[in-house]
Amino acid sequence: MPKKRSVKIISLLVLLTFFSCLFYGCSKDNDNTAKASKPESKKTADVIRLAGGNYGYLSPYAHYPRGPGSFKMRLIFDSLLEKDEKGYIPWLAEKYESKENGKQYLFTIRDNVKWHDGKPLTAEDVKFSFKYACKHPMVSSSISQNDIEKVEIVGDRQVLVTVKKPSAVMLGNLGTTRIIPKHIWENVDNPKEFLDEEAVIGCGPYILTDYSKEHGTYRFEAFKDYWGPKQRVKVIEFIPVSEAILAFEQGEIDMTSVTPDVLPRFENDPQYKIVESPAFWGYRMIFNMGETPVFRQKEFRQAICYALDKDDLIEKVQRGAGVPGSAGVLPPGHIMYNPNVKQYDHSIEKAVELLEKLGYDKLKNGVRVNSKGEKLSFNLLVGGEVRLAEVIKEHLGKAGIEINVQSVDGKTRDARVNENKYQLAITGHGGWGNDADYLRERFSDDTTSSGSISPNMARFKGYSKPELSQLLEKQFETIDENERKKQIFEAQELLAEDVPEIALFYTISYYVYKPEKYDGWMFMFDHHSLEHSKLSYLERD
Amino acid sequence: MSRHSIQLLDAKQKITQFTFHEVYQKFISLGHKIWVKIACFFNKFSIPGKAGLIGLSLIFLIALLAPWIAGHSPRVSSGPPLIPPAWPHILGTDELGVDLWAQICYGARVSLLVGISTALLAGLVGGAVGIISGYIGGWVDKIIMRLVDIMIVLPDLPVMIVLAAFFGPSLVNIILVLALFSWVSPARIVRSQVLMLKEQNYIKAAEIYGASPWYLLWKHFLPELLPILVVNMIRLTGRAIVAEASLSFLGLGDPTSRSWGLIIHHATSFKGIYYTDFWKWWLFYPWLFLMLMVVSLAFISRDLERIADPRLGKK
Repeated sequence: MPKKRSVKIISLLVLLTFFSCLFYGCSKDNDNTAKASKPESKKTADVIRLAGGNYGYLSPYAHYPRGPGSFKMRLIFDSLLEKDEKGYIPWLAEKYESKENGKQYLFTIRDNVKWHDGKPLTAEDVKFSFKYACKHPMVSSSISQNDIEKVEIVGDRQVLVTVKKPSAVMLGNLGTTRIIPKHIWENVDNPKEFLDEEAVIGCGPYILTDYSKEHGTYRFEAFKDYWGPKQRVKVIEFIPVSEAILAFEQGEIDMTSVTPDVLPRFENDPQYKIVESPAFWGYRMIFNMGETPVFRQKEFRQAICYALDKDDLIEKVQRGAGVPGSAGVLPPGHIMYNPNVKQYDHSIEKAVELLEKLGYDKLKNGVRVNSKGEKLSFNLLVGGEVRLAEVIKEHLGKAGIEINVQSVDGKTRDARVNENKYQLAITGHGGWGNDADYLRERFSDDTTSSGSISPNMARFKGYSKPELSQLLEKQFETIDENERKKQIFEAQELLAEDVPEIALFYTISYYVYKPEKYDGWMFMFDHHSLEHSKLSYLERD
Repeated sequence: MSRHSIQLLDAKQKITQFTFHEVYQKFISLGHKIWVKIACFFNKFSIPGKAGLIGLSLIFLIALLAPWIAGHSPRVSSGPPLIPPAWPHILGTDELGVDLWAQICYGARVSLLVGISTALLAGLVGGAVGIISGYIGGWVDKIIMRLVDIMIVLPDLPVMIVLAAFFGPSLVNIILVLALFSWVSPARIVRSQVLMLKEQNYIKAAEIYGASPWYLLWKHFLPELLPILVVNMIRLTGRAIVAEASLSFLGLGDPTSRSWGLIIHHATSFKGIYYTDFWKWWLFYPWLFLMLMVVSLAFISRDLERIADPRLGKK
């Protein structure tokens, strides 16, 4: 008797699973009945929900050093300048000027700015923030004691910053440093461990009202006494989502990015709007030249460039939504991109030729060895991008280079890359559209490093090419934009020849949202994500 | 079982006394006898059980013959990515252009390897622990049984996830972690059986005549315990295969191996797969084979249980 029942239950379960699978495909034709009302220009939204994830506590010192962390923190903390589609715009500073050929910057701080706790923001807070950020580098600040000579308060609303060396990037670095309240932080000696509620009091448009580390949820509420443009979104919530597209279709989240395969579903449907992102998020492969002598050979790195078929990578891993990496590192969309650098078109023959020149002329079980019996067999560390690693393994395998894939989770990979604990590694991150000065952070051995731990700055510590370093240090101090562009062009040529790292590809995302619900989304001039822009949530002229 | 082996022994003894031709004849008839035995054994199964046996042997064949029937490499791409099933890719390809049929053939090896080695490891260790605990008794028994209680109370999947993440992704670690959580049920079953056997008169008699524990174990306990243990191990195999698939599905298996769970993992982590047609082959076929294997094992173990323990068989 129980046996019969169990057979019935099993067969029922099998049938159920089968049919539920069948119906997955059918949910396609559900809500295609969009109301064709004309969109108003200034739409406001009560709640906007987006896909969450834990990116740490949102103080300028505690958040996780990746885009989704930094930009959530920036909703709470304002800076002197902000980014719009074209460039920097005055923000907490209503005016700014550079003096004495870039040696000094004079910021005029806005009046009537309030902290979330009601106290007024003064020039004193700005001065304190710069000093404090120099002493304790914030997660995403790029100023250090090596840059700033002194900070003075002029009059009651002006701050004069004197830098040690005039530089084209200094304005951006100062302008994007978060301003923190002096009355809260002045007694904090260990900012990384300061995780009180007070640590998230800023002067930005939103207040953090809820954060759950376990669920990866955040809730932001508009700050009523905000000095600046009115918030168009009253509440922003980041919620856990398992299948983003499903959640978006069911209205659980209000924006998502979709792959090219799913794109036709939203195209030609008036209720959806699709925006293509600039290709400023990319993957690169880095070499630990300290441990593995053969990585120090330029020819070896070039051989890997030739062996990799970047178009195939994009086709398979990105489903075609990507731009092949430039050997000069800067992506083609970058304002200082040099289109004439040496590029390595996929060619196994050239790769093999270079490897043979290095002495790896024998094949043993498909792996190249040299006369000393040293095998070209390496560990490749990835942070979950197993499929990408598998394609790379296949490509390099054709040239006789054996790859063992080590997959860890993303945060472990980031940590190991920062500690030089890898042989080969792949890291993917945004920020490729940032000021070209990140080349200096990555490749100059004369490290005046800001102490920032952003993955965009992560590099193999120990790479040294004096010619390149000199050039990159020089561009840092060049004020004239055309002159600087020339130097960056030249640096890209050196990079393309020496390939200390390989930019694999830059990804293109397709963001989909319903303009009916909210349409304020915008891209910052150097960034790949809609939801990361502060101006996406604010009223604009 | 034991009568069968005696017959075999008899046959062997007779063989030595005959000429070559007769040996040949005997050999044929022996083969026939074995075949009849297998057929008899097969006939003892119910219809689902027979279907299970056929299904399982099919999967065994696929795993054994993988290099010859796969047709493509399971590791490198052999066609355009994500093409639907069509010649020469009879089950289509995944997003890297790797043939799915080849992956399923080689994946059968991984699934069987994990299933069988976990079951063997857990069955042998569990069986040994059960015998020790049941035979020696006393405080040893108490300690082991409390340990078993603890293992039963522990929720296995969460702990397996933690352990697998801690030891790092590799097939051996997966097998060890699975075995760690599987030895409990054979241990308990074997122990209760040993406790029951210990009280039997013929065992007592043997003990009085001075039989050593070793002799008792080989001559009396093992023949009685083995069928039960085998049934249990088959059940463990099915469980281990599913557990391996779920650990791989969660991304804790060897990331570049080609197990069925991992194919499913890659398919489901493909963004928006349910909005495309790709799931119809990329997700469906590995799922189908996994189902086939697990259901076959379940049917077989159900019937074996009945055959091994005649009390259950009476309808």
